[in-house]
Amino acid sequence: MAAKYTLIGKPMPMTDAKSKVTGQGLYTDDISVPGMLVGRILHSPHAHALIRRIDTARAAALPGVKAVVTGLDAPKPYGILPVGHDEQVLQSGKARYIGDNIAAVAATSAEIAEHALSLIEVDYEVLPAFFDPRESMKAAAGWIHDTKPNNIEKEYHHHFGNVDEGFAQAQFVREESYYAGEVTHAAMEPHSTLAIWEPDQRMTVYSSTQVPYYLHRTLSDVCEMPMSQIRVIKPLIGGGFGGKSEIIPLEVAAAVLAKKAKRPVKITYTREEVFYAHRGRPITYVDLKVGLTREGKITAVAARVVQDGGAYCGYGPVTVLYSGALLGAIYDIPNVKYDGFRVLTNKPACGAMRGHGTVNVRFAFEAMLDALAHDAGIDPVDVRRRNLLNAPCITVNGLRVTSYGLPECIERATEHAGWNDKKGKLPRGRGIGMACSHYVSGAANPIVRSNIPHTTVNIKVDRDASITVFTGAAEIGQGSDTMHVQLTAEVLGVRPDRVHLVVADTDLTPIDLGSYSSRVTFMAGNACIAAAKNMREQILAGVAKKLGCEASELDLREEQLFVKGESAARMNFDQAIAAALEFQGGLVARGTYQPPETARGGKFKGAGVGPSPSYSYSAQVAEVSVDVETGRVTVESIVAAHDCGRALNPLTVEGQIEGSVYMGLGQALQEEMIWENGRLMNPTLLEYRIPSTLETPEIESIIIESIDPEGPFGAKEAGEGSLAATIPAIANAIYDAVGVRINSLPITPEKVLAALQEKQKRERAAATNMSGNGGGGAR
Amino acid sequence: MTLPAFRLERPARLADAVRILVAHGPEAMIIAGGTDVVPNLQMKLFSPRVVVDLKPLRELAGIEFTPASGLRIGAMTTLTAIMQSSLVRSKFPVLASAVGTIAGPLQRNMGTLGGNLCLETRCRWYNQSQFWRNALGGCLKLEGDVCHVAPAGKFCWAAWSGDAAPALLALDAEIEITGPAGARRMPLGDFYTNDGMSRIALARGEMVTAIHVPPRMAGRRGVYHKLRIRNSIDYPLAGVAVTMDADAQGVCREARVAVSAVNPAPLLVKEAGELLTGRRPSAELMEEIAHAAISTGKPLTTSASTPVYRREMLKLFTRRALEELWQNGRA
Repeated sequence: MAAKYTLIGKPMPMTDAKSKVTGQGLYTDDISVPGMLVGRILHSPHAHALIRRIDTARAAALPGVKAVVTGLDAPKPYGILPVGHDEQVLQSGKARYIGDNIAAVAATSAEIAEHALSLIEVDYEVLPAFFDPRESMKAAAGWIHDTKPNNIEKEYHHHFGNVDEGFAQAQFVREESYYAGEVTHAAMEPHSTLAIWEPDQRMTVYSSTQVPYYLHRTLSDVCEMPMSQIRVIKPLIGGGFGGKSEIIPLEVAAAVLAKKAKRPVKITYTREEVFYAHRGRPITYVDLKVGLTREGKITAVAARVVQDGGAYCGYGPVTVLYSGALLGAIYDIPNVKYDGFRVLTNKPACGAMRGHGTVNVRFAFEAMLDALAHDAGIDPVDVRRRNLLNAPCITVNGLRVTSYGLPECIERATEHAGWNDKKGKLPRGRGIGMACSHYVSGAANPIVRSNIPHTTVNIKVDRDASITVFTGAAEIGQGSDTMHVQLTAEVLGVRPDRVHLVVADTDLTPIDLGSYSSRVTFMAGNACIAAAKNMREQILAGVAKKLGCEASELDLREEQLFVKGESAARMNFDQAIAAALEFQGGLVARGTYQPPETARGGKFKGAGVGPSPSYSYSAQVAEVSVDVETGRVTVESIVAAHDCGRALNPLTVEGQIEGSVYMGLGQALQEEMIWENGRLMNPTLLEYRIPSTLETPEIESIIIESIDPEGPFGAKEAGEGSLAATIPAIANAIYDAVGVRINSLPITPEKVLAALQEKQKRERAAATNMSGNGGGGAR
Repeated sequence: MTLPAFRLERPARLADAVRILVAHGPEAMIIAGGTDVVPNLQMKLFSPRVVVDLKPLRELAGIEFTPASGLRIGAMTTLTAIMQSSLVRSKFPVLASAVGTIAGPLQRNMGTLGGNLCLETRCRWYNQSQFWRNALGGCLKLEGDVCHVAPAGKFCWAAWSGDAAPALLALDAEIEITGPAGARRMPLGDFYTNDGMSRIALARGEMVTAIHVPPRMAGRRGVYHKLRIRNSIDYPLAGVAVTMDADAQGVCREARVAVSAVNPAPLLVKEAGELLTGRRPSAELMEEIAHAAISTGKPLTTSASTPVYRREMLKLFTRRALEELWQNGRA
C-alpha cells in the first residue's frame, strides 16, 4: 500500500499551520478596510414578547452613527432548510428568546455603536414563555410560531420490521429514560462578518462560515440583490464544529447595515453573543427500549426522542431525523421503531454540532447495551461482536453500508486497552468501559433538493507548471485545504508545493455545499481526484502528440514523465507542461461529485436524512477512576479506534480523533448550558467549562482502514464519528468502577455521589430486609 | 466588549498613588494584574473615573523572610513568583499550595497577591454582562433591589472566591495597608467585612501594600483543598486551608482551619483551632471539626454547584486535610 502512493497515507502538516502558529494568518476579525464601521446588535431582554414599537430616532441622531436598521429593513424570512424559513435577521413582530435580534447599528467606533444601542427604545408586551420542551409540546395556545401548533417544529414516526415481535423474542428487555443537557461548540473564534459595500454597488462579504454558498444564496434573498452582485469569501476559520454551518444573524445584519450605510461594516460577536447564536446540541430526552436474546442478539429497538430545539427551526428536523436514522447502520437490528419530536421553546436555536443528531441517542443506546450485556452475563465487547452487520448491506431503514471496519475497531481498541486483563479485575474505584459509534461521510441528499453535483473542483496549470486548484470547500481547521493539495499532487505525480489553492470565494470557485456532515473529504476529495485525473489526461495527450506516441504509453510520476517500460525519464514536469501547452492551449480541468442513486435512501417521509455514500466506524475503551467520596471522575485513558476508510493524511486523522474524543469528554463530564427561566446562566468560557488540558487524558488513536470502494483513495470521514463513542465509554467505565449507572449528562460529581449514596441506602435496606424478615423481602 | 471611559493614572511612587486615591475616593479604582478588574470593567460592573495602575511601583513586589520578623510578601508580587518561590514552598507550603490552584498559568503570571486578596465578590447573578443584567433587572449588589440568591432578604451573599486568603488566614497573617497616614497592619481576618456589597475594609486613599506571616509559622505544615470542576482556570466553589503543628506523639499544638468561596468573606473556623489543640486524631474529632467547618461556611446558590454538595465537600476536604497533615506529621 505504501509503495503504491507517493503522498497518500503519509503524514503532511496542514498547509495553513504555519500562518496560524505565527499569528500571520487572517481570520475575519483581523481584516480591516478603509472607512470601516463597527456594527452592534440589540438583543431582546425578554424570552417571549410582542414588539409593539421600535424607535431608533435617538440612536440614529447620535454623532458617529451611520446606519440603524430594524426588521423592516430586511423583512424576508430565511433559514437553512427550505421547510424552515422562520427567522428574520431582526425581528419585527416578536422576540422569541433572551438574546433574539431586534435592531442593529453601524457607527464609527465600538463605543458609539454600543451607546447607540442604549438609545433605541423598544416597547415590548411580554408573553408567557415556554422553557421545557415536555411542557411546550402540550401548549394549547400562545405558540412561539403561529404556524407550528403545539410548538412542535416536526415529528417523525418510523417503524421498520415489527418491534412487538422483536421484544417477544428477547429474554432481556430494558426500558429506561436518558437525559442529555445542552452543549455548544465553543469554537475559539467567535463569529465575525465584514460586509463591504463596493463602489460598483456590489457587496463583498468576508465571513466565518462553514457554508459560504448558502450564505451567498441567503444574502441574495434577504438583501434582495442578485447573487452575481454579492461575493462571499471565507478567510481562515477558528473552528466551526457546526456552529457556523447555517446562516448566523450577524452575517445578514452586517450586510444589511453595509447596504444601508454604503460603507464597510464589521460585526464580531462577543462570546456571550456566540452563546445566543448557538445552534448547538439540544437538550434531549430519550426513552429507550432494547431487547436482547440470551445469546446476546439484539431483537428490537424502540426510541422516543424529544429535543428542545429553541426558538427557531434551524437544522432541527435534520437533527431529529439523524437521531432516528442512525439507530441503524452500526449493528444488525431487525426491528426499529422511532418517534422523534423537535419542539420549540423560548431559548436560542439549536442546530448542528459535531456528530449531528447521533450523539445523545448513541449515549443512551450504548449505555443500555452495556446494561443488557450485564443482565445477560455477556461481556460488553462480545455483545457487540454478536450484533455486527454483514456488510456490504442495506439496513432495515434503507441505509447502504459499503465498507465496515467496526469489527476491527472493536478488536484493536480492546486489545490495545488490555480489556481482557482489566475488565472486572480492576480495584473498586477504577473501571473500564467500551462503546461504539459511527457517522455519515456526507449526506447523500443535499439540503435544497436538486440534481446539481454536490461539489465541483477546477484545476488550472500555468506556464510555469504551477498548479492552481479552485475549490469551494470550506477549510475550517479540519484539513480540507491540505487534502486538496495532497490528492492533486498524488494524481499528477508532482511535489505538493507546486499546488496552490483558491478556496471558498464565490466569485472564483465553483459550488461546494459546505463543511457539514463530514462531507468534504469524501465529496470534494472525489471531485478533486476527478479534476486531477482529467488534467493528467490532458497533459499526457499533449505530450503524446509532442513525442508522437499514444497517451496510454506515458506515465507521470515523481515530477518526471516516462514512457512506460523505460527506466530513464523523457522529460521533467516543467517540460511536460510546456509540451502540453503547445498542443492543448491553456490547461483547465474540472471534476464533480454526486452521490450514487443507490446511496440516497428510502422513499418514506424523512428518508432523506441518514443516507450517506459511506459510514465511518469507531470503537473506544475508556478507563476511569472515581473518587467515591467526592463523586469526581477522572478519565485515565481513552483508546479510540476509528475506521476512516483510508487515512489520506494520518496526521490530520489523528488530530480529528483526538479532537472528537476531547469534545465527547467535555459533554460526558462537565459541559452544560445552564438555564433559569430561559436565561442562560453561563454564557462565558469561564463558566461553560470545556475541559482544560489537565482533564484531558492520554488518547491513543488507532486508525483502521477498511478502504471504501467509493471513497477518494478509499477514504471516509474522520472528523465527527469518534465523538459519540466517548461519552458512553466513559459512562460504562464508571459503572465498572463503582457500580452506578448515570443516565444523565453531564455526569457531574454531584450526580455520581448522589447515585453512590442511593446505592448504599438500597444495599443497606436490602441487607436489613434480608436479616429482618428471614429473607422473604428479597425479590 | 468595550471598556468604560476612564482616565488611566500610572503613579511612579507609592505616595503619588495614595494622593490620587485620596483625591478621587470611590471614583478611583486600583488595577494590579488586571485579571479580575479588566473583565469586570468590560462587563461594566464598575464605572470608575480614574484607574490607578500600580505596575510602575516595583518596590511593592518581592518576597522577604527573616527568622525574627517572618515572611513579608509585597502586594505586587505575582502569583507565579509566590508559587515558584523555594522559600514559600519549603517554609509556608499551604500558601504555595493555594496559590498554585489560582486560575491558570497565564493568569498567575499577571495576577498579584494584592489583587487576589482584593478580588471582587462573585455571584452567578452578578458576574454577567451589562445586557444580561439589564435583561434580569439587576440584583441587590448592582442596579437592582432583589437578591436572587435570597430574595426575601436585604443582604448580598456574593461569595468571596479567592484561594490565597484562606491559606494566609491559616497562617495567621497580617495585612499591611498604606494610606495618607502611612502604613498600618491588621489581622487579615479583620480586613474582610463578610458583606457581599463592600467586601474589604479600606478607607479613602488606602491600598494593600504587603502581607506579613509571623515567624512561628515558618515550617508549619499545611494544605489547601479546592473544589472546582476543572483542574485549572476555575474559581473555587469551596476551599479549605488547614495548618497544623503537632508533636511526635501526634498531639496537636496549634491548628488553624479557614474556608473560602462559601461566604462573602474567607473565614477562619475559630472552633476548629480550639477543638484541635491538645488532641490526637480520632474519627469523632474529625467529625466535630468537619461540622465546625460547615457551621462557619454557609454556601448558597451563588455558583454552579449546589449548596448541598459544596457543604458536603467542605466537610470532606476538612477531614482529608487534617488526616493528611497528621499522617505526614507522623512520617
